[in-house]
Amino acid sequence: MAIRVALIGNPNVGKSLIFNNLTGGKAHVGNWPGKTVERKEGRCVYEGVEMEIIDLPGVYSLTANSIDELIARDYIVEEKPDVVVDIVDASNLERNLYLTLQLIELEANLVVALNKMDIARDMGYEIDVKALSEILGLPVVPTVATTKQGMDELKKAIIKAAQQRGRRRIRHISYGKDLEAIISTIEEILKKDRVLSSRYPTRWLAIKVLEGDEEVLRRIDRSPVKAELMEVLG
Amino acid sequence: MSRIREVLGEDPEIVLAERRYDWISKVLPKVMRGARPITLSDLLDKALLDKYLGIPIFLALWWALFRFTFDVSAPFSDLIDMFFSRLGEAVEPALGGGVLSSLIADGLLGGLGSVLVFIPPIFFLFFGLSILEDSGYLARAAFVVDKILYKLGLHGRSFIPMLLGFGCNIPGVMACRTIDREEDRLLTIIVNPLMSCSARLPVYVLISSAVLGGYAAAGIYSMYIMGIGLAIAMALLFRRVIPYFRGRRSAFIMELPLYTVPTLRSTILHMWERGVLFLKKAGTVIFIGVLVVWALSSFPWGAGLEESYIGMLGRALEPLFRPLGFDWRGAVALFFGFIAKEIVVGTFGVIFGAGGEASEEEIADVIRSENIFTPLTGYAFMAFTLIYIPCVATVGVIYRETNSWKWTLFTVLYELLLAYFTAFLIVSVGHLLGFS
Repeated sequence: MAIRVALIGNPNVGKSLIFNNLTGGKAHVGNWPGKTVERKEGRCVYEGVEMEIIDLPGVYSLTANSIDELIARDYIVEEKPDVVVDIVDASNLERNLYLTLQLIELEANLVVALNKMDIARDMGYEIDVKALSEILGLPVVPTVATTKQGMDELKKAIIKAAQQRGRRRIRHISYGKDLEAIISTIEEILKKDRVLSSRYPTRWLAIKVLEGDEEVLRRIDRSPVKAELMEVLG
Repeated sequence: MSRIREVLGEDPEIVLAERRYDWISKVLPKVMRGARPITLSDLLDKALLDKYLGIPIFLALWWALFRFTFDVSAPFSDLIDMFFSRLGEAVEPALGGGVLSSLIADGLLGGLGSVLVFIPPIFFLFFGLSILEDSGYLARAAFVVDKILYKLGLHGRSFIPMLLGFGCNIPGVMACRTIDREEDRLLTIIVNPLMSCSARLPVYVLISSAVLGGYAAAGIYSMYIMGIGLAIAMALLFRRVIPYFRGRRSAFIMELPLYTVPTLRSTILHMWERGVLFLKKAGTVIFIGVLVVWALSSFPWGAGLEESYIGMLGRALEPLFRPLGFDWRGAVALFFGFIAKEIVVGTFGVIFGAGGEASEEEIADVIRSENIFTPLTGYAFMAFTLIYIPCVATVGVIYRETNSWKWTLFTVLYELLLAYFTAFLIVSVGHLLGFS
């Protein structure tokens, strides 16, 4: 069975280049079902392991506010790819990590590709890849997509992550005492809905409920715990 | 959700986003060393996006844009004006008298000519706007204004459609599709026509150059500011008064492009794409509108202007506009302006062009000498033009985008009432302050 890999990242991080590097430029291009957003798929074989690679739309965030973000997020939540590669612009870490945090919340099986390392260096940044990997609790691979640097390491990391799938502990960030209390209250209620909690990460659902995410609220609308939830939300 | 909002002191969505960024900024020093050298773009942003300086800089740049538009385009407009005058003078005797001669000289050359004079200011306005857009400033302007919009209870995403409204309300209304919440979208659509589109510009230019003298440019500028102010005021009012619009707003995140020096090629291309729309409109809607006005003003054949059909229509409308200080000619011009705002000028062109050639200068002279507008009523007329129904096409697009006759009709009606009320207020307050 081929490993199903999804590529995600902010716009202009070099995602397409990495896709081309991994697949050799051979892609099947179509549309997402019922949408006018382009869907690109390709294959990659490394050391006898086959990978199916799908290119998700470039997004800054994973809200329900735009079609691109919804497509990316639905794919991760519903199709549950084996590995999600989050391509991060090393020269713009602050903005890019925002998406990474949301992917952690989604409990995707993540590998971070720290791209544009050359540009970051030229700008005078020195990034401690190991420290970043430890803090995030994720494998981080430095790459330079333009010169194909780090591509083999990335493939290795993807294969390794696929093997460890489900066995890695997810390190969630703390939102602070006040918010964490609210989040865990909501989460406890959501856990009572077996159908919902078996399909989606409950912490993510709780955060989305708190954000007033319309898509998620719609899913909860039919849940038996809805009344209890509404009581807490006030 | 209200209880949680109380505990947090703000919308949970915003607090969550803030905490994520807090977390990132705490982690960054642990994994990264060295600072990005400060670029020119950063320095520019420091000033242009400043909490206090941002808005004044925005207003100053807008003002510079208008000065540029009118000062640079004036000689070109004069050239076109002269061309049509000469053509009229040359053509009329050659055709002899009669219906055909009047149709060509008064109707076509007088009416259409008086509209085509505005090609230069419209193209230069788009030229300036394109420079602001291509340089990367326009996105910043959205950011600067968004802060205020958000505080006022409007949605940040509303700004781009509003900005497009300055060019033409049709793309403005259509751009509201980018607003995801239905209530925000509808609200932005119904206040969008208050943004002063380029079709109103000819009216401002004509009237203000006729009666406002040295304050002409300031008068025109104030129309744009008034449009923005009214759009915000109406949005606030509707949000308060109409239950449908109550509710929370979602946050606005946008990426600011790097500053670039705009290339002449792309600026001219942008200007052309937008300007050509005006030319197309002049060739179709305005052309037909002007012919209708000519026909109504020329028949019954041989009768004086005041006894013509248009005169009768004007007389019928006049009592309605009397309190605003507009006479029957102003009333008729506004009436036909419903088709398209350029026709307001075209109507004056046809009416005053009864002698054959009607250059912009001459229309302005007639307005002054016949006392059609005083500075005060002229200004009120400009405000009325700004506020009432933009044009038939915009009404059509509003219907298509809202898919509701109710909201379309509501837009048309509130704008008519607001226009009347505002013009009345200007005239009354002006009189009290001793203006004439």
